[in-house]
Amino acid sequence: MAYRGTNGSSLFITVLYVVAACRAIPINDLLDRASQRSDKLHSLSTMLTQELDTHFPPIGRMIMPRPAMCHTSSLQTPIDKDQALRVSESDLLSLARSLLQAWSDPLLVLSNSANTLPHPAQSSISNKVQQLQEHSKTLGDGLEILSGKMGPAAQAISYLPYRGGTDLGQDKITKLINFYFLVSCFRRDSHKIDSFLKVLRCRAAKMQPEMC
Amino acid sequence: MKRGLGLAVVLLLSAAVESSSTSPPGTPVLLGCRSPEKETFTCWWKPGSDGGLPTTHRLFYERERLKGIHECPDYGSAGSNSCFFNKKHTSIWVDYYLRVVASNALGNTSSDILDVDVMEIVKPYPPENITLLVKEQEGTPYLHIRWEPPLNIDTKSGWVTVKYQLRVKQDNSHQWKNYSSDTQTFLNLHSIVLGAMYMVQVRCMLDHGSWSEWSNTTSVPVPKYFPNERPFWILVSTLSVVPFLAAICILVMKRKSVKQCLLPPVPGPKIKGVDVQLLKSGRSEEVISALIANQNLPPLVAWMDQVEEFLIVSDCNDWRSPDPTNPPKRKKSLIIPVGFHFDQDLLCKEPLPNHWEKKDEIVKNSETHSEGSLPSTDLNQEQQRDHCGEASDRGVSTWTAERHQCAANVSVQPFAISGYVDIQRHMQEAEGTQVDYSRVKEVTGNDAVILEKENVQSQREDEDIPEDYSRVEEVDGDNVVFLQTQDGSCKKKDEHHTDCTNLKMIHPHPSKVGVCAALMGSEYVDTTPAFPAS
Repeated sequence: MAYRGTNGSSLFITVLYVVAACRAIPINDLLDRASQRSDKLHSLSTMLTQELDTHFPPIGRMIMPRPAMCHTSSLQTPIDKDQALRVSESDLLSLARSLLQAWSDPLLVLSNSANTLPHPAQSSISNKVQQLQEHSKTLGDGLEILSGKMGPAAQAISYLPYRGGTDLGQDKITKLINFYFLVSCFRRDSHKIDSFLKVLRCRAAKMQPEMC
Repeated sequence: MKRGLGLAVVLLLSAAVESSSTSPPGTPVLLGCRSPEKETFTCWWKPGSDGGLPTTHRLFYERERLKGIHECPDYGSAGSNSCFFNKKHTSIWVDYYLRVVASNALGNTSSDILDVDVMEIVKPYPPENITLLVKEQEGTPYLHIRWEPPLNIDTKSGWVTVKYQLRVKQDNSHQWKNYSSDTQTFLNLHSIVLGAMYMVQVRCMLDHGSWSEWSNTTSVPVPKYFPNERPFWILVSTLSVVPFLAAICILVMKRKSVKQCLLPPVPGPKIKGVDVQLLKSGRSEEVISALIANQNLPPLVAWMDQVEEFLIVSDCNDWRSPDPTNPPKRKKSLIIPVGFHFDQDLLCKEPLPNHWEKKDEIVKNSETHSEGSLPSTDLNQEQQRDHCGEASDRGVSTWTAERHQCAANVSVQPFAISGYVDIQRHMQEAEGTQVDYSRVKEVTGNDAVILEKENVQSQREDEDIPEDYSRVEEVDGDNVVFLQTQDGSCKKKDEHHTDCTNLKMIHPHPSKVGVCAALMGSEYVDTTPAFPAS
């Protein structure tokens, strides 16, 4: 499945590049494809969270860092519908791209940690993390092409460095809790990305209500 | 002292009574929150014991990115023990830290803090207006299920993405069958059982959040007999078959004329004068005769004329053994083409001068077979003639036998040897040596001689060229003889002479090649002209 994902993502990127180089695919189409990719990404992260939840020690929730501690929380994003609908398309895209870009390194950490995660569903979790990486990369490349069509504001990316280090913890509980924390942060950001892109898609497809 | 003690006991008792009925409120429990459309959310709690006193519950929250502690903006919209956060107070992707404080006269009790992100508590209401229809497609019924998104959902801005799920079962079974519908608000269910009652429920989900509750069950009965369009099509096909069959019948009945029209008969071959029926009868002789009769042939007469000119019959003895001692005998040379038909009547007609008038008799000699009728000047001649006549009487086949008898007087030169025969007549005992012969004018080839054509002036007055003889004027090739026609100048020697008419061959019989060939070998010649050999 991962292999198919790679093929699919590379195909997606190839198509996007070719399209951008040769002739203009309408932005609607590009946004639709990007939205579908981000939807998949969010679905994966949700499932990953639920899977982690099945065997999470209750005390872990107690000592889990707060979501404000996510490395991407400093980015100012709309937090309700009205705000989101007021943001310009370029800004929305820029936000989505910044968030996505911020997760390239942490996903690597997650991927490495998933191999030795002390969890009964470790293999499934590891598989999902791998898919997250692939989809994230593909979506990032696609959004880059999209940003080229939407002006300079869309191409500005906010730098959100991850300072968590490569090691999630020494003992099992710490590892697990840190792992869960990263995954939950990623889930929030993937939802943001998905929502922003879908708002963009609906806005771009004014004549196609079925896109909303 | 006793009064003081009693008062203390009373106060203690009353205090004890009071403290057992009232207490600070019990700890309320936050049950949970729910956002039905990702724009508002509601939280519910369960209050603890009230401690016997009127207890109030208040919800306080803190929020990420928001300073301060805030209280629930709306306690009543969502019912008791609930807090409704409207759009203004709802933010997503930020954590809410909620707690409920129950307070009464005796104290306050706070619940545990509930950590809530709206993103995680999105759970829509069930879809609305579920309609079931039994529709029909190509004679088979199917179930058409249609619904609407739940209330309050914003489907116009793209803020939420709704996904649906259905489950269907028949009323007599306990097993539900699940179906997924991505974002469309209808579903067609094929292969349904006629006469059954179907029950359907639908639910939905927002943004990979929680599923809604199942909707109320909607059921529809499927009719047992489905009124489909088959009778209509049966009628249509029947009506169209009838004229088709009628056309077939007409075609069969008139098949001959149809065949005539489509496959016109090929015209047979037409040969002028040939009767197809005659051909079919298979008698080749008649066919050939019919074919021949129809042909435009050159008039035999003319051809005969040409042929007649070149026939000379001479005596055979002269050829075989010329004996100078012998008196010149009548020579009969026959030069005739192969195509000539041997006519027995003319053969061996040795013209005798005194028999001119007896031409007919001579001709008929074969028929009458009378010797007496022939005047004889020369016994030999008569004998010869008789012999010849007898011989001629018998036909071709017998002539061969008689040939030898006639050989003395008749010389037949086989063509093979000389190619021609010279027919000459002269008197055997004529003192005159005048003979009827032609001069050779030219020799052509190995075996051809061209003779002069001359007015026959017979010096023998008593001899004349009999009318039934011809002079050979020219020999052409192996088997062609050109005969000389009489000029028409004849001398009447005596009154017995008949007119000298142009000698003509008077026996236009069709030649038979086989006969001619026989003639070739047997040295007989027929002066009857026939078709040219070549």
